[in-house]
Amino acid sequence: MMNKPTINKPTIRKPLQGVRITDFTVHAAGPFCTHMLALLGAECIKVESTKRMDVFRKPHPVYGRMEAASFAQVAANKLSIQINMKHARGAELARRVIAISDIMCESFRPGVMERLGIGYEALKAIKHDIVMVSISACGQTGPERNYRGYAPLFGATGGLGTLTGFADGPPVEMRHAMDHGTGLAAAAATLAAYLRKKRTGKGQHVDISAREVATSFIGDALLQYAATGQSSGRQGNDIPGMAPHNVYPCLGTDMWISIAVAQDSEWAGLARAMGREQWISDPQYATSASRWEHRRVLDEEIAQWTRTRTREALTALLQKHGVAAFPSYHAKDIVEDPHMLSRGAIKELRSPKGETRLAVGVPWRFSRTPGSIDTWTPELGEHNRYVFGELLGMKESEILELIEDQAIY
Amino acid sequence: MPAALNDTPLDGVVVIEHCRSVAGSYAGRMLALMGARVIKIEAPGTGDPLRRMPPFLDGEQRSALFDYINVNKASITLDLSTKPGRALLDELLKKADVFMDDTRPLDRRALGIDPEQVADQQPSLLYASVLPFGAVGNHCNYFAYELNTLHSGGEGYLMPNGLALDLFPERPPVKIYGQFAQFVGGTSAVCAIISGLLVQDQVGGQLLDISVQDANVALSCFNIQRLGEGVLENRHGRSFQYGGVLECVDGYVGLLTLEQKQWEGLVKLMGDPEWTQEEWLKDPLNRGRRGAEINKHIRAWAKSQRVEDLVLRGQAQGVPLAKYVGPDEIMAAEQTKARDMFVEVDIPGVGKVPMLTAPFQLMTPETLTAYPAQPGASNAAVFCEMLGHSKAELDRWRADKVV
Repeated sequence: MMNKPTINKPTIRKPLQGVRITDFTVHAAGPFCTHMLALLGAECIKVESTKRMDVFRKPHPVYGRMEAASFAQVAANKLSIQINMKHARGAELARRVIAISDIMCESFRPGVMERLGIGYEALKAIKHDIVMVSISACGQTGPERNYRGYAPLFGATGGLGTLTGFADGPPVEMRHAMDHGTGLAAAAATLAAYLRKKRTGKGQHVDISAREVATSFIGDALLQYAATGQSSGRQGNDIPGMAPHNVYPCLGTDMWISIAVAQDSEWAGLARAMGREQWISDPQYATSASRWEHRRVLDEEIAQWTRTRTREALTALLQKHGVAAFPSYHAKDIVEDPHMLSRGAIKELRSPKGETRLAVGVPWRFSRTPGSIDTWTPELGEHNRYVFGELLGMKESEILELIEDQAIY
Repeated sequence: MPAALNDTPLDGVVVIEHCRSVAGSYAGRMLALMGARVIKIEAPGTGDPLRRMPPFLDGEQRSALFDYINVNKASITLDLSTKPGRALLDELLKKADVFMDDTRPLDRRALGIDPEQVADQQPSLLYASVLPFGAVGNHCNYFAYELNTLHSGGEGYLMPNGLALDLFPERPPVKIYGQFAQFVGGTSAVCAIISGLLVQDQVGGQLLDISVQDANVALSCFNIQRLGEGVLENRHGRSFQYGGVLECVDGYVGLLTLEQKQWEGLVKLMGDPEWTQEEWLKDPLNRGRRGAEINKHIRAWAKSQRVEDLVLRGQAQGVPLAKYVGPDEIMAAEQTKARDMFVEVDIPGVGKVPMLTAPFQLMTPETLTAYPAQPGASNAAVFCEMLGHSKAELDRWRADKVV
């Protein structure tokens, strides 16, 4: 099902139908933000150039990928155009695309957009109510705004990675979930700014710092530290007040189940499921505090019990007894899960060449205005003619001349 | 939706939050910081169980997590299983733009808050269902806390990587700190709710079915993408081929050199040691293939380095290096202060403490108000002032344990 950008279906209104985004973001955080908005129906125009291609179009050896990705989730549902931003006529062309957009997203280092003549103040002159979204490592202001970073690094400077890990071990690097978490927070902020523009007619510059998003995930630890001067540090799989609370081995290689108990009723459910009813009346397990005290003993007992059973059988049994339990899912589990498939959370996409690929679907189900994932990763410049020709009304000769001049490059 | 009177995105928007999960409460927090009037419904008596979730702040037993995720909200109590309680909810929903609920679908029907039942009465209301596995599907009635949802989304299986994994290869996966998956679910809910508000004038109300699992699978989409490339990721295979967490004399740093220039900067930073001069190291693909060898050298070198000094010199060479910092250093950092990340909040029994605002610089309220110590502290304001009931009625409901 190709989603032709020129055809709108008025009967099925998507939340962001008719909203246009010029998207200069690359890597993971920014593209995830605009990917979310594209799922909601925005027309997202991704700007790259032969000189500045997004990472998925290249090998990525540090991640162990030795060639370009054949499909990139976060680029799906987007249009692709080529603009050489280092060319004066390229920057001018970019301004024209932005002028017909509602939202502009970028993830350059702070200051770069100003140098290119498309900083927020310059854009306001072109389009007074533009919502400009900047996603950077440390934000647009402050002494460390020029700090260079990737997800694992803002996981470090934001504190989330520091508090993640075994109590007797080192901190742990945050991976794509951190980039994408930043992108998700950015999407929420962008939607809020766009709603405000719709209600008040005012645009604004939304400033997202990946490091601050990382920090937002430890807000409770920060509050605890501010009030008490104490911080609990790394705690492995523990959550204070909850026990048993861990990941336990199951039948098979590298198979695990997560089990979490908070309330007394859940504890009784676990004891019954395990055939250990005597635990219910055992005073050393009577309260959540006493279970917490004995959590390592309990972990041993539970692991003994789970080791010889399958994740699926354990999950079904524990859920029946009112206990929060779920397998530790790997990618294959997710794409084969009938529950996920029934929700449309996993979708098969088809490339123009006929390749198929499983992609993550829309993570929300709207009863009246559902979003959708329709189109494959665009080829670099696949939509040059549509954007420059149809949307900007440029003549073919004009486009060819800009290609010749390497402004469209 | 009423007209906006001030500069916050959600000024005038009324949200009724009937949530006990961290995900739902976190969504309410974000909406409140965006300017919405968020009214949280708790059970009469002891209120939300999360109130009793350690770690606690000084003074009275106030939960750090509960206070963090419920700031800027009003608290009312309501027993929805009683007739007058359910009727009051209807009155509230008539005044509301959004209803957020995380009751299990099985229990919704009994309380008369099934999305269809509510839609019959309130056709223009946005019903935001925030559940671990969504409102439909085989698992929709499953119980789950943070640990379970983190593992349902794929990221739980893949943690840790790098140094922590090399040190403890036999241990079970380790979770991300705190309530990561729940906050992600909450942020995802905010996206859906604002999207619903954007078209509410045209299409009216609707059901927004938000699944914490779906949100986390979306976040872990790279994992699904790798599967499509024929790679089923696991903790060992997913580790960076080289770099990552490094132990220094006085703490830990993270290192990631994705570009050639950055690698060259790292070689310089290490003082051009002999092992870096080998021909195969010049090719990034080779470095990717033989990362373990590189790591052995880098880790040995890092052990003699001091964190602050290393990070400064590294940034000067263009090498992406960062210190793993804790809450103390975050609060003291110049960057934190320059960006007004914290706002003082007066917590009953604790006093004035700085609290993190929202993870974006937007038009957010400049003041933070602590969540009330007593469940139902806003009962009079909501039932009398907002809904127009008399004090006598409220007293009667109190006596009947409706509120």
